[in-house]
Amino acid sequence: MKTFTRLARAVATLALATLAVTGASAADKTELKMLVWDAANTAYLQPVIDAYQEKNPNVTISLISTSANEYSDKLAIMLAGGEAADIISVKSIPDYAGMVNRKQLEPLTPYIKKDKVNLAQYSGVTDDITVNKELFALPFRSDIWILYYNKDLFDKAKVAYPTNDMTWDQYAALAKKVSSGFGTDRVYGSHYHTWRSTVQLAAAQDGKNSIITTDYSYMKPYYERVLQMQNDKTVMDLASLKVGNIHYSGVFYNNQIAMLPMGSWFISTVIAKHKTGEATMNWGIVKYPHPAGVPAGTTAGTITSLAVNKASKQKDAAWKFVKFFCGPEGAQILAKVGNLPAIRDKDVVKILTSLEGFPTDATSKEALTTVKVRLEMPMHDKVAIVERILNEEHELIMVGAVTVDKGLADMSRRVKEALAQN
Amino acid sequence: MKTTRHRTLRNDLIAYSFLLPNLLGFVIFTMVPIVFSFFLALMKWDGANPAQFVGLDNFFRLFQDEGFQISSFNTFYYVLGVVPLTLIASLALAVLLNGKIRGRNIFRSIMFFPYVASLVAVAVVWNMLFHPTMGPVNFLLYSLGVENLPGWSASVDWAMPTVIMATIWKGMGYYMIIYLAALQGIPGYLYEAAEIDGAGKWKQFWKITVPMLTPATFFVVMMLTINSFKVFDLIYVMTAGGPGRATNVLVYAIYNAAFIEFKFGYSSAIAIVLFAIVLVITLVQFRMEKKWVSYT
Repeated sequence: MKTFTRLARAVATLALATLAVTGASAADKTELKMLVWDAANTAYLQPVIDAYQEKNPNVTISLISTSANEYSDKLAIMLAGGEAADIISVKSIPDYAGMVNRKQLEPLTPYIKKDKVNLAQYSGVTDDITVNKELFALPFRSDIWILYYNKDLFDKAKVAYPTNDMTWDQYAALAKKVSSGFGTDRVYGSHYHTWRSTVQLAAAQDGKNSIITTDYSYMKPYYERVLQMQNDKTVMDLASLKVGNIHYSGVFYNNQIAMLPMGSWFISTVIAKHKTGEATMNWGIVKYPHPAGVPAGTTAGTITSLAVNKASKQKDAAWKFVKFFCGPEGAQILAKVGNLPAIRDKDVVKILTSLEGFPTDATSKEALTTVKVRLEMPMHDKVAIVERILNEEHELIMVGAVTVDKGLADMSRRVKEALAQN
Repeated sequence: MKTTRHRTLRNDLIAYSFLLPNLLGFVIFTMVPIVFSFFLALMKWDGANPAQFVGLDNFFRLFQDEGFQISSFNTFYYVLGVVPLTLIASLALAVLLNGKIRGRNIFRSIMFFPYVASLVAVAVVWNMLFHPTMGPVNFLLYSLGVENLPGWSASVDWAMPTVIMATIWKGMGYYMIIYLAALQGIPGYLYEAAEIDGAGKWKQFWKITVPMLTPATFFVVMMLTINSFKVFDLIYVMTAGGPGRATNVLVYAIYNAAFIEFKFGYSSAIAIVLFAIVLVITLVQFRMEKKWVSYT
């Protein structure tokens, strides 16, 4: 018994001593935990963090990384379990809407007012994510949809390159013209990745209809066009892509597709793959095609932002980092590694377009300027379920399990039901 | 008297102490969540905001939900496909590999292999084999002159049969082992006697093997039924519930409701209905046991 007491006392003393030591170092050193996806493959993360740590030597940022595919689910589950990591990377609007609904994010409006952050520099995207006059995240990346193309394949087919001002009809005709070959040697004119957005964004581009609605019949011509392209083998069919787990990047590098409508996030990847030698083709970008009557430069966009966890115990320190990351300094660093930052002034665009590896032609440099950018998925508290319904019905239409009319009618009915539920 | 009681107590405590680690794990990670989910089914809860008591609303909504009906139908489709076919396949394999054939251990290992193989790898390989345009299966069918090639896991009509086939292939080795063990337990003199009486192989199979195997069959049917109702992983990897909702089973609906839409109450309600279905079926099977299972 006596030995036990002595032992207990020794352990207690030791524990106190360690506590005192760590406590003392915590006073002048702040460690901020940040939730991110694919840390190893995200080129911009470390440079921004390094720059911040250089300016603030007492702060260390440690990353908690998850694979991009699982990030949304994992993040939600971690937060539900009381995760206290300080900074949260917000990957998509559905994630953001969910966390706002569940009151897991610290409102940033008071901090913004206190530090007089100029929201005008975000050219309006902060308005899109303002909920009841409160902003819960600051955007650092604001990607837009553009059209990538493989110059080599166009040269080989002796077809003129795409331009910065094309209607969807002109684009489809071009895709047909540049397609050639059979079987495994087939060169497809364009490519629709498995996301429903690849087809649906074009339908909502004119701004007359929203992606969240109760009548989707407006998408009919767009689905018919893409189905026609599938039939003509101008694009690969969705069933093959899904079952074969085919990613858009692979077919682009392997010269299997001549054009690729995709988000600007892909630019930095293409540049990086050219540096490692995995991709060798000449490529260029042009503005996203548009419906007739809609000005060129109208496109859909998506934002990536940073938020402060409501459960964080170091909110002020976390906010300072968020402000830096999403501010002008962060933006320049982001542009230097090939990303389109949310602050997109002339300097930033110039840094990006003069990067080594960025296409050198004037058309490509012009492609990133926009007239109007609409959020790919608008803010709505039912956004997660709507997204799922749209994806399911999209799949059915694209594999030909239902007609376009039936698919869109089902889509409308199901979304209507989901919106009516509380 | 006192010492014996003391000894029994001691024995009991030793036994409990051995049970404790497993029991603790079971209680914390299985029992508590199960009980919790019964309460959750009566609540509206998104995992963060305070839960609201809604009574049986979740259940009322369930029976009007088209998604729930589709998932239930798909689950029964899957169970009715998997259970009898796996049973037949594993019994046939066991009988074949019980005989004295050359290299039977190798064949047994080959048949058991899918069971230990990683499920994700199996799903990916199946998807490649059955790829609608580039897969070898459709290539073979095409060269045999089949028109209208099935789209397999990419088509609404074929997705479920494809998943069922993959499940059977993956599971039959395990149930084959159970049948093999049971087959070894059938005394040889029964067959000898039958042979003397002039019964052919076919008759021996139906009159001796099948009745003697009923306890094993009972076990296999129970396990298969329960496991099939629980299916999630293979479907998640192979089809993700698609195309559309063609392979959306109940556990997938539970997952979607809970972790995509954050309706923990509603998702618990689906889970409880699934639990009730499995419970009723299991009870009925136990009831029926007396009628067809012979323990001799």
